[in-house]
Amino acid sequence: MKLIHTLFLPILLTGSLLLSGCETGGPAATSAGSFHLSEVPPFSGEPYVVLNENQPDFPEEDFTTNSFESYGPLDELGRCTTAYANIGVDLMPTEERGNIGQVKPTGWQTVKYDIVDGKYLYNRCHLIGFQLTGENANEQNLITGTRYLNVEGMLPFENLVADYVKETEHHVLYRVTPIYEGDNLVASGVQMEAQSVEDDEVCYNVYVYNCQPGIEIDYATGESWLAETAEEPSPTENTASGEERYVLNTSSKKFHKPDCSGVQSMSEANRQDYTGERDALLEQGYQPCGICKP
Amino acid sequence: MHVIVCLDDRGGMLFHQRRQSRDRAVQSDILQMCRGEVLWMNRYSQALFSDAEGNAIRTAEDFLEQAGAGEYCFVETCASLRPYEKNIEHLILYRWNRHYPSDARLDLDPAAEGWRQIGCTEFPGHSHERITKEVYTR
Repeated sequence: MKLIHTLFLPILLTGSLLLSGCETGGPAATSAGSFHLSEVPPFSGEPYVVLNENQPDFPEEDFTTNSFESYGPLDELGRCTTAYANIGVDLMPTEERGNIGQVKPTGWQTVKYDIVDGKYLYNRCHLIGFQLTGENANEQNLITGTRYLNVEGMLPFENLVADYVKETEHHVLYRVTPIYEGDNLVASGVQMEAQSVEDDEVCYNVYVYNCQPGIEIDYATGESWLAETAEEPSPTENTASGEERYVLNTSSKKFHKPDCSGVQSMSEANRQDYTGERDALLEQGYQPCGICKP
Repeated sequence: MHVIVCLDDRGGMLFHQRRQSRDRAVQSDILQMCRGEVLWMNRYSQALFSDAEGNAIRTAEDFLEQAGAGEYCFVETCASLRPYEKNIEHLILYRWNRHYPSDARLDLDPAAEGWRQIGCTEFPGHSHERITKEVYTR
């Protein structure tokens, strides 16, 4: 049985700042633990920067072979705070991903751009990835994050830890802290720290930018627009609810538009009608059909 | 010499001076491939093969300098193979088919540099869904 603690880590928040595109840094006094956002250089094309020479800062007493996971309470603005775990194989998921579309993290907007992989600018980003602790619709573990943050930034670091734990059955202390400027509803980025317990094979401390190349974001609200240097028409708002109809093939894990030719030949046993958000399907591991391109 | 390297989807080998990943199925395949032959590596890598029996594992920090013709070299911590390129008879790549962070990437791209692929097999790993093994020669 998984053991979940409630965690309280104070995050100092001062001032609100509109950040343009992938820029960050500046004179902010925002901090989480020993990390100061003002130390982070502006985004320069790499999804992350190394902090403190990659050395994380975990308490000595937490280096244990007992797995645990903690998700900090939402702050007074409803924002996620820190998620912290000692990842072991016993925490890893044993069931398929569930739906997380019902969670609306602070600053959530459903908006599409053709220049974004999968089109949707924002994903519900797990602080501690599903592959590590199997958390689904836990509002204390989901933030509004760009596709770039999710796939290019955080996922490689999650993969590194997940595959190490699966291979060795060792433990990894793992902490993810969203970093906000003042009262902004969208995090400027996340700090990711990891350290293996039984050896020194996993060790990192990085800041990952919550940005999307070619898109500018108002981190106070989550509103976004195309950067002047990018070439694309205005963003497309989805339906008011962000929901659309799709047909899922539960065997091939593809999703289709209802009028797709692939739906006609689909086995009834594998067919499932779905109304909801597209990115929720992507987060569940479904891929868009290559014919109808939903 | 025959050089063996593990790579992620971006050609990465290391992050923060540590291997990106490992898989006992890869270690087993390497030992089987090198059975009866000399297999060189450094001390960092030797920890992965501590229970290897029947293999002639030799350990040295400068093993790429010492390895002779026909001998195997398992390379984890040296991403710069260019200085040894003329001595490489075969380049054997194990691809994790995963994206990991990397700050050291292999400086050879055999497919783009005219090497000839003479083998490609896939097998399931212990902790990786699918591992691709590619063998290149000049």
